[in-house]
Amino acid sequence: MNKLFYPKLAINNIKKNSKMYIPYILTCIGTIMMFYNMYFLVLAKDIGSLSEKESLRTLLFLGTVVTGIFSVIFLFYTNSFLIKNRKKEFGLFNILGMEKKHVASIMFFETLFISILSILTGILAGILFSKLMILFLFRIINFEVTFGFEIPIKAVCYTLLLFVGIFTLNLGYNIFQVYISKPVELLKGSNIGEKEPKTKWILTIIGTICLGSGYYIALTTESPIAAINIFFVAVVLVMIGTYCLFTAGSVAVLKVLRNNKKYYYKSKHFISVSGMIYRMKQNAVGLSNICILSTAVIIMISTTISMYIGMEDVLRTRYPRNIIVEDTDISDEQAVQLDNIIEKQTSMLDVNIMNVSRYRSISIAAMQNDDSNFISAESSSYISKNMSMLLFVTIDEYNKMENKNLSLSSDEALLYVASGDIPSNIISFNNFKLSIKERLDSLYSEKRNLVALTNSYFVVVDSIETINKIYDELMIEDGDMGELSYYYGFDVNADKDVQIHLVSSLQNAINNSGINAYAEGAESSRSTFLSIYGGLFFLGLFLGFLFIMATVLIIYYKQIAEGYDDKERFEIMQKVGMSHGEIKKSIQSQILTVFFMPLVAAVIHLAFAFKVITKLLLLLNLSNIPLFAICAVITIFVFTIFYAIVYALTARTYYKIVS
Amino acid sequence: MSHLMKMKWNSEGIIMDKMISIKNLNKIYKAGSVEVHALKNVNLEIGYGEFIAIMGHSGSGKSTLMNILGCLDKPTDGQYLLDGISISKQNTDELSLIRNKKIGFVFQAFNLIPRTSVFKNVELPMIYAKTKPSQRKQRSLELLGKVGLTDRIHHLPNELSGGQKQRVAIARAMANNPPIILADEPTGNLDTQSSIEIMELFTNLHKEGNSIILVTHEPDIAEYADRVIVFKDGIIIEDRRKEGVQNNLA
Repeated sequence: MNKLFYPKLAINNIKKNSKMYIPYILTCIGTIMMFYNMYFLVLAKDIGSLSEKESLRTLLFLGTVVTGIFSVIFLFYTNSFLIKNRKKEFGLFNILGMEKKHVASIMFFETLFISILSILTGILAGILFSKLMILFLFRIINFEVTFGFEIPIKAVCYTLLLFVGIFTLNLGYNIFQVYISKPVELLKGSNIGEKEPKTKWILTIIGTICLGSGYYIALTTESPIAAINIFFVAVVLVMIGTYCLFTAGSVAVLKVLRNNKKYYYKSKHFISVSGMIYRMKQNAVGLSNICILSTAVIIMISTTISMYIGMEDVLRTRYPRNIIVEDTDISDEQAVQLDNIIEKQTSMLDVNIMNVSRYRSISIAAMQNDDSNFISAESSSYISKNMSMLLFVTIDEYNKMENKNLSLSSDEALLYVASGDIPSNIISFNNFKLSIKERLDSLYSEKRNLVALTNSYFVVVDSIETINKIYDELMIEDGDMGELSYYYGFDVNADKDVQIHLVSSLQNAINNSGINAYAEGAESSRSTFLSIYGGLFFLGLFLGFLFIMATVLIIYYKQIAEGYDDKERFEIMQKVGMSHGEIKKSIQSQILTVFFMPLVAAVIHLAFAFKVITKLLLLLNLSNIPLFAICAVITIFVFTIFYAIVYALTARTYYKIVS
Repeated sequence: MSHLMKMKWNSEGIIMDKMISIKNLNKIYKAGSVEVHALKNVNLEIGYGEFIAIMGHSGSGKSTLMNILGCLDKPTDGQYLLDGISISKQNTDELSLIRNKKIGFVFQAFNLIPRTSVFKNVELPMIYAKTKPSQRKQRSLELLGKVGLTDRIHHLPNELSGGQKQRVAIARAMANNPPIILADEPTGNLDTQSSIEIMELFTNLHKEGNSIILVTHEPDIAEYADRVIVFKDGIIIEDRRKEGVQNNLA
């Protein structure tokens, strides 16, 4: 046999199956390009000139890892779909006398050609797009664009290594499939009728339990810190639930629809429902994948967009005053020294101080055992929803801060609740009790506590001695409470550059004075926030695009596979007297149900995840829930339009095959 | 055709008049804890140049026998000799080779390679058999002429009618001049007229000396064969020859 026989046959096979292989090759190229680009950004020298290069690089590296893992799973899944559809072809080769090792040779050449084409084009496209990517990233994080072009060899090598590995894995799987397949199955295929899938009640129950538990966790998690740990568990449970319910639950629902005679015996429902019962078995995984990818796209894009847009809110929440000077464990003398430094530096820059918020306090973490009782907090209690932060100030500080003239006795307190609830008028700290003399409606420094991740209370007591007693009650380890903290926040009537300059001169002066305090400001931290939030936004868009690409391909393949499956069925329908119009309606009824089911499920997932996502966003300082809600609604809307366009375009392929 | 013309000699120079010899053949399918005895102690001998129809209802064992005869499946126990070769002892690659050289398949669903021309479909088994290109071309054209498709050689399978597709499949089955043609419900997907045409084609091929075994559940189709074997519940319940047809087996 000619040595070029197998390579030629491989090329012919790819050409003959171009309807399936062209989208696959394009996806491979796209995935390779995106992986290269992401890794390129991690290594890019231009990023090195950013002040927040380390955190941005960590973020981008995380994106690279996610892209890499996703590439392995996605390309493996796509390849297995292709091979499944070509099994009959290989079975026929085998029956006609081709040995399995020869089929393996054809597969080797097919994989070789596809991998060479994809990897070369992918890396080349990646290199060409890399500058565009970095420009886009810099635009988002508002960083000056630099000139020049670079090709990090390490990025090229790692991309090559990863994708050669993926293609080798796919080849191994394909050859294994050929070796385990029996040619007789090809003959059986035409003779043995499909069996109606049984309603798998156990799987339906497992799916319902998993999904229900995932939703329950998402709805009942109150503490943002607990949300970090529990979110992953909830995601896994929802994923398992989705797979189980799409596999088993959908068959159960369709059978219920079939039993509803009013619905079932209508020309457009009859064929679609009966067909879908059989189809769900093979379609379930694809539909679950579309659902999970859609959920991921919507969540990623809406959260990152809301964080990016809401960055001003975040900055204002994090910095309720333009400039903040803060330190813990600081003596009265040092506090006065800080006041002097602030006064001197502001006057040197000719800046007027406004809206001063200044107080000495101490923060103690405690567990709110029952409604009004606080006990010592252990390290494990940080994930509890009862975790509370208590901020104590003396009445003198309070009077200075709020410009009032109140007095308290040693067993009295004023209480301001930033978050949480203390219903009783007696607060106890283990064995020490205070009666609430007055509940405060507002506090000058309120904003600062809005992002509290835990219950947060502001307690005003008569003296430092009382604070000491409470400290002794709530601390697990023995030790002196030390000095109080000092917070000095103020606004200034100066522009951005002056504010940045003021923060840096304040910090220098503080450092020179030997005090450990630090000065911060919204303007001076803006670039840091932009790097992180912009980086996250970029990552969200990037991964969102990658996941959308995957969703489109899965939808496309489903349309093709179903088109071939349905061709015969629709021919029969025409023969038994259904008009072309009725057939079209039936197709629409079926496809619409099947294709929009994952999207509906994705939106339901998001609705249940909404609360826990807002908790997680709180950890990232975003407390603007309406903003996130708007972003989520817009993302869903845009995604639905996009989904509908993809559906319409791929449905055309389906109609072509069927008709 | 004389009896002697239908005989063959094996490598030791011994005359073989049995193309297929099956002794005490059993096939048991296991599905979990359930065992299905698809073939029970089947004994069968088929001579060179015979035209046989295997009949039976669904689940009678006829398709299982067809798969074993076609080297697509192995018996659970018993002996199957094809052209003097013990099939049970062959590995999968050797079976592929046997299928390529000794068996031509014709399926109910045609199973032509899609998006591949009629000519290429017929040529393919000869490529695997390492036939020279010039010979391949000549043989393909000859076979397509024989099945009456000379004017369709560059057409794709989806451009042909059912009857024409089955003719291509028959031409492909004949490509390597195999001693046996196995046809599994070859008229199952065809209308009456096309069925008659296909069966006439098989009759002509048989007259030219080819051995044909076809599986069918239609008595009209089975009537074209010289010998009819009827299966029920995995055993042969009838093995009759058409009147006037000589038994080649001693």
